[in-house]
Amino acid sequence: MLRNRAIVILAVAVALVAAACSSDDGTIEGPTIKVGSANFSESALVAEIYAQALETEGYSVDRKLNIGSREIYKPALESGELDLIPEYIGTMLTNLGGVATSDSTSTHAALQAAWEPMGISVLDFAPAQDKNGIVVTKATANEFGLITTSDLAALNGTLVFGGPPECPSREFCLIGLTDLYGLDFTEFKPLDVGGPITVAALESGEIHVALLFTSSGVILAKDFVLLDDDLGLQPAENLAPAVRTEILDAYGDRFEDVLRAVSVALTTEELIALNKAVEVDGEDPDKVAATWLEGL
Amino acid sequence: MILAFFSWEWVFDHLDDIWDRTMEHLLLTVIAVFFGFLISFGLSITVLRNRRLFAPITAFTGVLYTIPSLALFALLVPITGLSVLTAEIGLISYTLLILVRNTVAGIDGVPMPVLEAAAGMGYTRRQLLWRVQLPLALPVIIAGVRIAAVTTIGLVTVTALIGQGGLGFFILRGLSLLFSPVGTTQIVVGVVLSVVLALVVDLALVGTQRALTPWAKAKEAV
Amino acid sequence: MIEFLGEVVAWFLDPAHWTGANGIPNRVWEHVQITVAATSVAALLAILPAIVLGHRKQGGTLVVGAVNLFRAVPSFGIVVLALPITIGLGLGIGFWPTFLALLFLAIPPMFINSYTGVAGVDPDLIEAARGVGMTDAQCLLGVEVPAASPIIIAAVRVAAVQVVATATLGAIVGWGGLGRYIIDGFAIQDDVMVFAGALLVAGLALVTEGLMSAVERWLVPKGLQTAGNEVARIAV
Repeated sequence: MLRNRAIVILAVAVALVAAACSSDDGTIEGPTIKVGSANFSESALVAEIYAQALETEGYSVDRKLNIGSREIYKPALESGELDLIPEYIGTMLTNLGGVATSDSTSTHAALQAAWEPMGISVLDFAPAQDKNGIVVTKATANEFGLITTSDLAALNGTLVFGGPPECPSREFCLIGLTDLYGLDFTEFKPLDVGGPITVAALESGEIHVALLFTSSGVILAKDFVLLDDDLGLQPAENLAPAVRTEILDAYGDRFEDVLRAVSVALTTEELIALNKAVEVDGEDPDKVAATWLEGL
Repeated sequence: MILAFFSWEWVFDHLDDIWDRTMEHLLLTVIAVFFGFLISFGLSITVLRNRRLFAPITAFTGVLYTIPSLALFALLVPITGLSVLTAEIGLISYTLLILVRNTVAGIDGVPMPVLEAAAGMGYTRRQLLWRVQLPLALPVIIAGVRIAAVTTIGLVTVTALIGQGGLGFFILRGLSLLFSPVGTTQIVVGVVLSVVLALVVDLALVGTQRALTPWAKAKEAV
Repeated sequence: MIEFLGEVVAWFLDPAHWTGANGIPNRVWEHVQITVAATSVAALLAILPAIVLGHRKQGGTLVVGAVNLFRAVPSFGIVVLALPITIGLGLGIGFWPTFLALLFLAIPPMFINSYTGVAGVDPDLIEAARGVGMTDAQCLLGVEVPAASPIIIAAVRVAAVQVVATATLGAIVGWGGLGRYIIDGFAIQDDVMVFAGALLVAGLALVTEGLMSAVERWLVPKGLQTAGNEVARIAV
């Protein structure tokens, strides 16, 4: 009696589990494309744009957004847990041991060459660039007459700097600020990746200097001051889709064309407008992506 | 800001996604509790055969329980990647303590006279376990499964940080969109549906227990 | 494996990890602060009303059911949800959203145990106390609470340990504490840092468990013994 009931319940459970295992169906035959992003809203937005562009073409797509820092998603991309992710050519080239310059074309070519042995193809880059930005409030800028990043050196030993947890190990973040600019902050506060937590900390005065992104819509909206990178620490940081070569081989030119169409249309102005819509106007990123794609 | 908290528009636009993520959440939970139960069942039988193992096994599963979930997932990622496996290894580990404790307590709680009577009727050890001890221990065992399930549902949200997540996906997404209703709505949806899922699963388990052992009332966990 | 453990030991021996805001002493102190704060406030908010309700045997299933709901709330979700609220209230990021989330975690077990503990006190004890002429309040404080104290303090112990482990989530919303080593280590895939952080948290959890057990042994026997003896003497 008991055994019969147990079997029935087990069968129901299995049926439920099977129902839960439904996957996305695309009209194009082939492996599902796992699109990932780093854990900040611009990356998630661009990844969403890639995802929707591909879905419209008929590919079947799986989203794994807000994964984390490069150290976390890069191995996942190389091992096949992710297939496609938006990348920034300068920082990524440096990550692979190369030397990034402010020249987009050569940096991009170097990145392609460096990453290819690991089975990753970097497709055409977009004109849009997003670099690390050193930001202060207008009040702070006025008080100390801050215009360039070098100006901060005069305030060494008095300011608190806030940014992503990985900043202290990044050449274009704390390492570069210390080595190239000779800056010395009293404390570094790990917050989030150029997101609302960092913005809140800057506004409340918990930090004096923040790491935000040059394409962020928040800087203008909150009347923050983006300090000029006068010593040229930041390299070219164009957005480019990084995709597993395996997927590229499976799908061919049509796949590449879809992403190329997106990249060609994505300028820095467009990117800032997209970011503003999401970060400042509070619009639904999925809708923002869809609307932008329709306008292509 | 608090007034512009919730956006029904977002909810209706994303009903598909919400359903998918809820199912993903449920699946991760079911797998964890299922395998957790199998493993802890094996451990429990081992303990019942050899009492001296109870202290070390409880200590081991207890230590697993004190490791913050974040750390356990983080340490597994370089080994097993951003995969369901990583999430499951972590989730299963956290179910073991409560399941072993309840299974052992449940079987221990079967009255001696009942066991003696059954042995007197000629039941073998195996028959004793499957026909007498387990059915009678079922209420307490399922009470443990209920707590393990509810705890797991909460922990699944954390797996969003390693690329899994179920409803945790919305919570994490909302974190990067904090100042817009789209962001806060996602967080609320993630939290509320987790709670709803936990309640539904809890009720389902109580129902299962009543169906399997109609003679017993639902018990509180040990 | 051995190599890895060697690196962990080296991490602990590195003097740089013992100084400054991100040093072990400061992070441990932050973690202890929030644990003490959250557990005490939760105890106040949970135990007092629960004892009164349990004494009057009011509410019962309804209240316990509602509090059980709190148990199902994911800590990760609450810590994130609290953020826009605390920012809006001017309390900022970091400490307050984490504190709020920990309250949610600590209140249910303390409330439920206090309620069921007091409600479940042996009716004979209460009758005897009334028989002696104890008022409602005297009965509650002198008999019921001491009798229920084992379960109540056990709940505080369990809650405190859970708070220690869960406070690590605060690092996600800009707080410090030992979770910093876990989150920051994970961000740069520095397993040694993550492991060290996990060890520190587990260590702190064990210390908390030990301390609370000692408190349990100190508080409970006195209460139980005294109440038991008094009633026994009076009954005879």
